[in-house]
Amino acid sequence: MRNIYLIARREFLSYVATWGFWLSLASVPLFMGLGFGLPMLIESSQPTRHYVIVDESGGQLEQALLDGFARAQEQQIADIQEAVTDMVGDNPQVQQALASGMMQQIGDGRYQRVDLGLTSLEDLRPYLLEEQVFAVDGEETSLFAAVFLRGSVADGIAVDYWSKNRTDGGLRSSIRRALEDYMQEAYLLSGGVAAELLESAEALEPEVRELNPERSGADAAVTDAERIPFVMGIAVAFGLWIIIFSVVNMLLTAMIEEKGNKVLEMMMSATRHYEILTGKLLGVACVSATLLVFWMGLALGGATLVQQAAASADIPVAEIFSALLDPGLLLPALGYFVIGYLMYGAVFLAVGSLCDTIQDAQTLMSPIMLIMMVPLFLVMLSADSPDSPIVAIASWVPVWTPFIMLSRLPHDPPMIELVGTTTLMMVTAIGVIWGAGAVFRLGSLNQANQETIKGWFSFGKKS
Amino acid sequence: MPETILELANVTKTFKGKTAVNDVSFSVKRGQITGFLGPNGAGKTTSLRMSLGILTPDRGKVTLFGSKPGAKALDRVGFLPEERGIYRRMKVIDVIVFFARLKGVEAGEARRRGMKMLDEFDLLHAAEQKVKTLSKGMAQKVQIISTLIHQPEFIILDEPFSGLDPVNQKSLERIVRAQADAGRTILFSTHVMEHAERLCDKILLIANGTKIFDGSVTQALGEVPRRIFLETVSEHDLVALLDAYGEVRRDDAGEPGVRCWSLDLAPKADAQDVLKACVDAGVKLTRFEPVRAHLHDAFVHLVENAGQTIEETADA
Repeated sequence: MRNIYLIARREFLSYVATWGFWLSLASVPLFMGLGFGLPMLIESSQPTRHYVIVDESGGQLEQALLDGFARAQEQQIADIQEAVTDMVGDNPQVQQALASGMMQQIGDGRYQRVDLGLTSLEDLRPYLLEEQVFAVDGEETSLFAAVFLRGSVADGIAVDYWSKNRTDGGLRSSIRRALEDYMQEAYLLSGGVAAELLESAEALEPEVRELNPERSGADAAVTDAERIPFVMGIAVAFGLWIIIFSVVNMLLTAMIEEKGNKVLEMMMSATRHYEILTGKLLGVACVSATLLVFWMGLALGGATLVQQAAASADIPVAEIFSALLDPGLLLPALGYFVIGYLMYGAVFLAVGSLCDTIQDAQTLMSPIMLIMMVPLFLVMLSADSPDSPIVAIASWVPVWTPFIMLSRLPHDPPMIELVGTTTLMMVTAIGVIWGAGAVFRLGSLNQANQETIKGWFSFGKKS
Repeated sequence: MPETILELANVTKTFKGKTAVNDVSFSVKRGQITGFLGPNGAGKTTSLRMSLGILTPDRGKVTLFGSKPGAKALDRVGFLPEERGIYRRMKVIDVIVFFARLKGVEAGEARRRGMKMLDEFDLLHAAEQKVKTLSKGMAQKVQIISTLIHQPEFIILDEPFSGLDPVNQKSLERIVRAQADAGRTILFSTHVMEHAERLCDKILLIANGTKIFDGSVTQALGEVPRRIFLETVSEHDLVALLDAYGEVRRDDAGEPGVRCWSLDLAPKADAQDVLKACVDAGVKLTRFEPVRAHLHDAFVHLVENAGQTIEETADA
């Protein structure tokens, strides 16, 4: 026990006592922020595209187009405001800020119409080819597109869209949508449909209520809070996968480094191989616990900050943490983590003991990585179809059980599946750890390498 | 009779059908410096690993401190393996303390001893440095300190001189001698005979997994014929004259008019008698040089006599 503790302690400190570890931990929220912020940044940094409209119909189509653009922009802003209200509550300050700040950024705001006083393609062509430029607010700019509108609703509308740019199709799509709406509306009006009726028809939408058959009356309505445990089940399953995947890779690289540095033989002379294996697994398990506590703390802190920033935000923090800390989810999650980690960790350590370099490990890791990727997809599938036969069958594969069963837990899977898969997983874990221990011993003493493992799976082929 | 620290009795170990150690028996007594000699791939490392219980023999019995090698016995042993390295990103003193604690030394005491030994090895200035900043020789000294830090009764060194420059080899010889003077039992493997000849009370010779000699250095040297080199300027035929004292060979001629000979003395023959026989016969000697045999000669002689060839095989 003394040696297991000492090895685990050394392993733990070798990670957490470095700046790199804490920087990498802190980088996670940074990258998450980048993940959210980058698309907005990219969007806001797009250059303003200038275009001209040449309406050969006499101005009717141009006006219809501009009206359509204005309506689309208003609709987009309304949609965003609704989404933000859903997320942080109805805060007038936030809504006002959104309305004023995003008006120019959202929708077609980055396409601006200009009037160059030119109406023929031949006159506009040098601008489209960037041979000539024009000034907007004192800045020289080129022409993005020239739009020629012809025809009428009755005879059909034709649009010639001239542009050198082959990738940015936003303006083209907006024109198509705006004129499509205009044509359909004009068609209905010409058929005798009253304008008021048309407006009323567009505003129609059904009221959909989600009800739980286990309850009745007013209590039957399903609330957002009730969905949280199911979402948390999936989230925890993903979290478990990410943490196990991260820390077992730490084990692999550390083991390869020790093997390459010839430290293992020194260790073997001081302690037994199973103590080294257990100590390393325990040490890195403590590292993963540190990761977990740090990220959970960060999530809690982040949620609290968002709540404080928007005074009336209604993020269901209490419900989320209540779902997370529910013993029905937390205890199985801990159990699945321990078993899943031990299984994968022991295998990764064994692989590491067989390899002197990370390149050596890659051949052996490829099939293991494929096996590890499968539950990621099955967890996603189980989010929509927890009772899918594929998900149910895959739950019985011991190396996938921790992730898939965790995502299924909130759906109350049959007891036989719960007990059966868990028992099979535990028995397999014991076998895997025993086998990994044997391989680790051989690998540590250089009596086996990756070629030995390949030989086991050559099925009688002679080298 | 000194206590037996380690005993291997008829031990055999096979890997993938290849016998690495075949029915080997030997013992190490308290206070001795024992050299474990043999060519590469002879089975030295496998024997040492079995001695510590790192490997289990297929047949035979290993006894360390009177019982089967176990975790308790490891605390009394300091083992420097052939394939050795230390945590490169740890501080020197932390590495030493870590290995000391694995051997049961309390943290404070381990640090105190570590600093003292670093001072003795002229490495005190490097105590707080990371191992990766050390030279190879310095790192090997840290490994040796890590092996000795818990003051083991029995020290096993597997090829301790390999990779060391002559200065550090000399330094390691002094360390081994000092440990022996402090009453520790030492078993070290090597294929460099000079170290064994200078240090060992006893040698074990193993080749192709089989023990071929077990005895003192003097006994080993006794196994190889003593040789005398002679040069004459007279016409005497030394092959006929000295036939009674051993095997005489005529060697290639040296300078013009000088005849060169070599004589492998018979086991009971004396060099003084050979000289007397030459003088009595009127041989005009310009050179008479009895040569002391070295352990290297004994090693080659014993290995060849055992029908083995000295070749490098896969490490076993």
